[in-house]
Amino acid sequence: MSERTSIEDDAPLLDRIRNNPEPALRWLAVLGVLVALQVGALFGAMMELPPWQTIADRLFGLPLLALFEPVGSVLASVGDRLAEIPTLLSRDVIPNRGHRVPGGQQFAADIAGFTVEFWRWEGTFLGLPAAIAWAIRVTLIYLYAFACLAWFWKGYLVFRNHYRYADWTPADDMIDRMRTHRWGQFGFVVIAMFFMMAMFAPALGPTVVEENIQEPYSYETKYLDQESGEVRSTLVGNANLGSRSRGGGSNGNHGIGTYDDYDRFHPFGTLPNGKDLFTFLAAGSRVSLFIGLLALGISSVIAFSLAMVSAYYKGAVDLGAVILSDSIQAMPRLLVLIGAVVILRGTWIADIYNGGLLLALLLGSWGWPAMWRAIRGPSLQVVQEEWVDAAKSYGQTPRRIMRKHMAPYVVGYMLIYGSMTLGGIIISVSGLSFLGLGITPPTPEWGRAIDLGQSYIATDSWHISIVPGLLIVIVVTAFNALGDGIRDAIDPQSDTGSGGEAAAAGGGA
Amino acid sequence: MSRWSYFAKRLVLSIPVILFGTTVTFIAIRMGPIDPVSAVFGTQANPDDMERMRRQLGLNQPLWQQYFDFLWDMVTFDLGQSWVVETNTDTIELIKSRAPRTVWMGFWAILIPLFIGIPLGFYAGLNPNTAGDYFASFGGIVWRAMPNFWLAVILLVGLSRSEDILFGFSWKTFLVDTPQVIGTKYFHTAWTNLQAGQIQPMEWARATKQILPAAVVLGSASMGNEMRISRTAMLETKHSNYVEMAKAKGVSGRSLVWKHMFRNALIPLVPVITGEAGLLLGGSVLVETVMAINGIGKLFFDALTEGDMPVAGALMFIFILLLVFINIMQDFLYTIIDPRVGYEGE
Repeated sequence: MSERTSIEDDAPLLDRIRNNPEPALRWLAVLGVLVALQVGALFGAMMELPPWQTIADRLFGLPLLALFEPVGSVLASVGDRLAEIPTLLSRDVIPNRGHRVPGGQQFAADIAGFTVEFWRWEGTFLGLPAAIAWAIRVTLIYLYAFACLAWFWKGYLVFRNHYRYADWTPADDMIDRMRTHRWGQFGFVVIAMFFMMAMFAPALGPTVVEENIQEPYSYETKYLDQESGEVRSTLVGNANLGSRSRGGGSNGNHGIGTYDDYDRFHPFGTLPNGKDLFTFLAAGSRVSLFIGLLALGISSVIAFSLAMVSAYYKGAVDLGAVILSDSIQAMPRLLVLIGAVVILRGTWIADIYNGGLLLALLLGSWGWPAMWRAIRGPSLQVVQEEWVDAAKSYGQTPRRIMRKHMAPYVVGYMLIYGSMTLGGIIISVSGLSFLGLGITPPTPEWGRAIDLGQSYIATDSWHISIVPGLLIVIVVTAFNALGDGIRDAIDPQSDTGSGGEAAAAGGGA
Repeated sequence: MSRWSYFAKRLVLSIPVILFGTTVTFIAIRMGPIDPVSAVFGTQANPDDMERMRRQLGLNQPLWQQYFDFLWDMVTFDLGQSWVVETNTDTIELIKSRAPRTVWMGFWAILIPLFIGIPLGFYAGLNPNTAGDYFASFGGIVWRAMPNFWLAVILLVGLSRSEDILFGFSWKTFLVDTPQVIGTKYFHTAWTNLQAGQIQPMEWARATKQILPAAVVLGSASMGNEMRISRTAMLETKHSNYVEMAKAKGVSGRSLVWKHMFRNALIPLVPVITGEAGLLLGGSVLVETVMAINGIGKLFFDALTEGDMPVAGALMFIFILLLVFINIMQDFLYTIIDPRVGYEGE
């Protein structure tokens, strides 16, 4: 509590921490542990992301500086060494790809009609079966990610309890209301898991996109041949041919949580072409999220600045904004998307990020009117407040008034609509890729998995379409739930208001 | 401002809206990277033929002249001819022959949510925080989150193989016999016979049954929306003063609900229902493509993917007109239903 701090209230944050360092240190210690677990990945990113080679060539090409070249190379080798430190969440520490050991059957028993077998494996984590090794890695990744989230949350609490100057701020009430809002929390947890899926996609999948989906004929996989009883090696592409899901029977089916004949585990089953569905969906979540966030960013910036300006100046500016947003909304978004994607197919812009950038730009530029409409009301309301009048009479510039006195009030509403539109964007993108538009084919996208499995829904291979569809439903529901939660937190009175309803993502698009 | 001058103002304001949409369409189809003429001729293009067609279509004229010609054609509803989808057919004829199917589907897609979503929402609003309310509300939320195309695929398969999945219940022979689960075949015969002056109830029943799954999919998002809003509207009305007053006067429960609450709770639903027009237009493209219904949505999709630019442009223009018209009607209706709504605001 702030009353415990003896120093003056307006002391800078650093002084307040110096005065009572213990909670902050404890919090930082946790950060140390979290970073230490992933330190190799951190250094890896540092060594890979900046183009060190070109920088070094430029730098050491200069006279005088060339003398330091040995230092540079030493640094580079140290960096490389550090990047090789194993990280908790990489595929190498807990590998799940391996093969059964010949004659390594530990036991086999019939329990309740199911045959339970336990084999010794080679190449997997601790010689465990591939499924278990994979499950351990996924669990660890999610635990780690949630620990990071908890760390951020704890940081806020530590700041609020020990170091903040004010005892109470309006944001506290909102956050406290959110803490009791189960429906909103459900949304938050699901969305957090969706984000984690996208962030850790390469480590989460039982296999790697490049080896399994993009270039299956450039990589090999080892397996225990059932007939000859020896370990063999084959191209991933050939293995894929043997693990297809085409309706069961002689056409083959590898459903949820099954192994194929090549000692590979498929948590969500396989696609009709034998590729791993989980890896496909995890990579697809990255694509969806990238498009969603970029599109949301574009439309938020336009909608927010336009809302500020049109609410402040009203009159002709407002009318202009109304006409412009009406004009854009008069062209149904999905039709514009289909049209633009078809027309721009094959041009350079449709190639960037496999077409993702184009979709994001289109969704962003066609998404702002709805958002602007939604925050226009609150913006017009806040302009009428006395504090805005007061600021005007003090001679503050319009820019400053909008930023300091109007924006904070409207930001909360942006969060509501942002959450709800993201769900709509995910549906739109998957709808387009279902039609074969937008994201170019070998790139994984959820809608394309649904399309691939269309003809197998009534067969044993129902998982191909049903699993991604359910994922979309869950994620979109969660985005709407989070939006509801934020709305109730910001403005508990509006519980019955129709504020957020219009923005909620529907399956229409 | 009187109602009529408000109406006139709305009409004037809609001119720039339509102009903007038409201009964007023009830019997309004439200045975009797709060359409409080479789409017609395909790979075995003869340069002479292409040049002749270009001249015939006025594509060799300066761009600004093309633009004004295009605008004029659109305004006078001279929508040109289809080049690829159905060669040498007037676009208007093409649209006329396809439109009834889409309208038929849209009609049910509006009706079904109205008669399922609103009663459910009112029920939930009348009994808030009961098990029934939670069930209806949660169902509505999940139902709304389902992507149209996914629902369409599942319904299509589920209904055509219902005897395997639903314990022997056969959708195909349910009530009337429809071997093809979704389509507009019966609608087509019923409609042509109706134009000839014959009314065939059985054919209409079959036509309805065949379109219902598509309409349910198309209306799924609207149904969820209408349910949520009617629930909140009912909740709000329930706690309003005039309902308390009526209760205090001793108005009976039934009359209270139907006379005082029901009618007033309908007001906020008007913009929701009309606002779904955009959803229906966009959704019809997906649903018709997935379910192979030869309506306007599929025509738009085919025209675009096959490079039939005049048809695509004309359809876009018609969609824009439709949406603008519906928006104006919505505001107009609103001022009649709820006189408190001012004309000054917007």
